[in-house]
Amino acid sequence: MTKSIIKFTQVTLEYSARIGLFKRFTHKAIDDVSFEVYKGDVFGVLGKNGSGKSTLLKLLAGVFEPDDGVIEINRKTTRSLLTLGLGFNNQLSGRDNALISCMLNGFSKAQARSKLEEIKEFSELDKFFEQPVKSYSSGMKSRLGFATGVVLEVDLLLIDEVLSVGDADFRKKAELTLLNKIKGEQTVVFVSHSESQIQKLCNRSVWLDKGKIIAAGLTEDVLNMYKKQEKRNAA
Amino acid sequence: MNFRQSLSFINTQALMKLKAQSNTLVLSYLWWILEPILYVALFYFVFKFVLYRGGEDFLAFLLIGKIPFLWFSKSVSAGANSIVENRGLISQRVIPKYIFPLVNCQEALYKQVLAFTILICFVLISGYGVTIKWMQLIPLTLITYLLICGVSLFFSVFVTLAPDFKVAIQMFMMGLMFTSGIFWDVNLIQDDMLKALLMHINPLASIIDGYRKILMYKTDLNFHYLSSVFLWAIFTFLLGFSLLHKFSNTLTRKLFS
Repeated sequence: MTKSIIKFTQVTLEYSARIGLFKRFTHKAIDDVSFEVYKGDVFGVLGKNGSGKSTLLKLLAGVFEPDDGVIEINRKTTRSLLTLGLGFNNQLSGRDNALISCMLNGFSKAQARSKLEEIKEFSELDKFFEQPVKSYSSGMKSRLGFATGVVLEVDLLLIDEVLSVGDADFRKKAELTLLNKIKGEQTVVFVSHSESQIQKLCNRSVWLDKGKIIAAGLTEDVLNMYKKQEKRNAA
Repeated sequence: MNFRQSLSFINTQALMKLKAQSNTLVLSYLWWILEPILYVALFYFVFKFVLYRGGEDFLAFLLIGKIPFLWFSKSVSAGANSIVENRGLISQRVIPKYIFPLVNCQEALYKQVLAFTILICFVLISGYGVTIKWMQLIPLTLITYLLICGVSLFFSVFVTLAPDFKVAIQMFMMGLMFTSGIFWDVNLIQDDMLKALLMHINPLASIIDGYRKILMYKTDLNFHYLSSVFLWAIFTFLLGFSLLHKFSNTLTRKLFS
C-alpha cells in the first residue's frame, strides 16, 4: 500500500486585511479542501490565477497553518518550497545564496559546502554562480532555485511555477529530473498553468477553483474534466 | 534546525550580510566609523562652545557614552525590522523567527568591533592607560550584547504585528538617549533614591556608567546595577523568544495579508 506523506482534511484558510480603521476585507483562499499526497507522487495542482494554488503550497510547506481543518504530516519530513525570485539575497552570489538555502534546510555549514559544486553543475550557471544574483535573468534565478531544491533531496519538494521560465533545454532537463524522481523516494508537488506539463509529469493531480477542489485523482481524469470545463467556458 | 545549526546559521548569515553591503556601498563600512565620530563632534561642539559645559575630559566622556548607545540603538532598530525584511525567506520554509533578529544583532556586533577599536585607541591616546579593571569589559560587553538581543527579539514581535511600531521605537530611542546619561553624568544626580531608580529602570544608564567606570575612572563596576541589567536582558530575551514562538503563525499571516 502506498504511504501518505501529507494529508489535508477539510482545510480552510482565510485572508483578512484591514482596509479602513474598523473595516476588514476577508477572503477564503482555501475552502474546505481535503486530499492526500502519497510518497513518491509527483502531484500536480491545476487552476487559474487566484484559485488558491500558491496558498495551498504555503500550507503544504508549513509556512501557513490552517484556520480550520487538519494537516497531518510526519514531523521529520523535510520540505522546501521553490518560488520564483523570492528568498534570494540579490547582493550575494549564487554560491552564497545556495549555501544559505542548504543551511536553512538543516544542513551543517560543512555539509552545505559539499553540495555547492553539485548545485553549480546542475544549474549550468558556470561563471555566474560566483556573481551576485541581481545580475541574473529570471531564467537563471529559477535554475539556481531548482538546482538547489533538487540537489538537497528534501522529502517533499514544492514547486511554484519555477519551471515555466528558463530556456527549453533546461526545462527539458528539469522535467527529466522530475520524471526520474518519480521512480525514487522523493515526492513533488507541482503548480503550473501548463496543462501539458502537468500531463507529462504528474501521476496524480487536483484542480482548484476559488479555493475549492473541483476534481482530484489521476491526472488523466482531472485533466479531462478540466478541458471539458474550458471548452464549455469557451462556447 | 537544531540549536547548534541555528547558531552557525546566524553567524554565517550575518557575515554574508556584511559582505553583501560591502558589495553595494563603497562607504558603508566607513559610515559605521564616521557616524559615531560625527555625532560626537556635533555634541561636543554644542556643549563645549555653545552651552559652555563639560570639563577637560568631556570628549572622552561623550565618546564612551555615545558609542555603546549607538551600538544598542542601531542593533535594536535593525533587529526589530528583521522579520519584515525577511518575508521572502519566511514564505518558503518553516524557519524559527528568532533567527532573524539575532542575525541582525550579530551583524551589528561585527560592525561594532570597528567602533570599539576607535574608542579604545582614543582612550589610550588620551592617556587613560590600561589597568586590570579593563577585565571587567568582558562581562559588561557580554551582558550588553545579551540585552541587545533580548530587546531586539521583543520589539521584532511588535514591528511585525504593526509597522507603526517603528515610529514608537524611534521615540523610545530618543527617550533613552536623554535618560541614559550620554552627555551628562548620572552620578551628578543628588538624590540617591532617584539615581538608583534610574539605574535599575534604564539598563542603558548602568551600561554607559559602567564603561566610564572602567575606561575613565578605573573603578569597580556596581554589582547591583550590573545584575539588574542582566535581569533585564534575560527577561526581554525569554519574553521575546517565547512570544515569537507562540505567535509564529499569527506573525507569518500578518506578513502576507
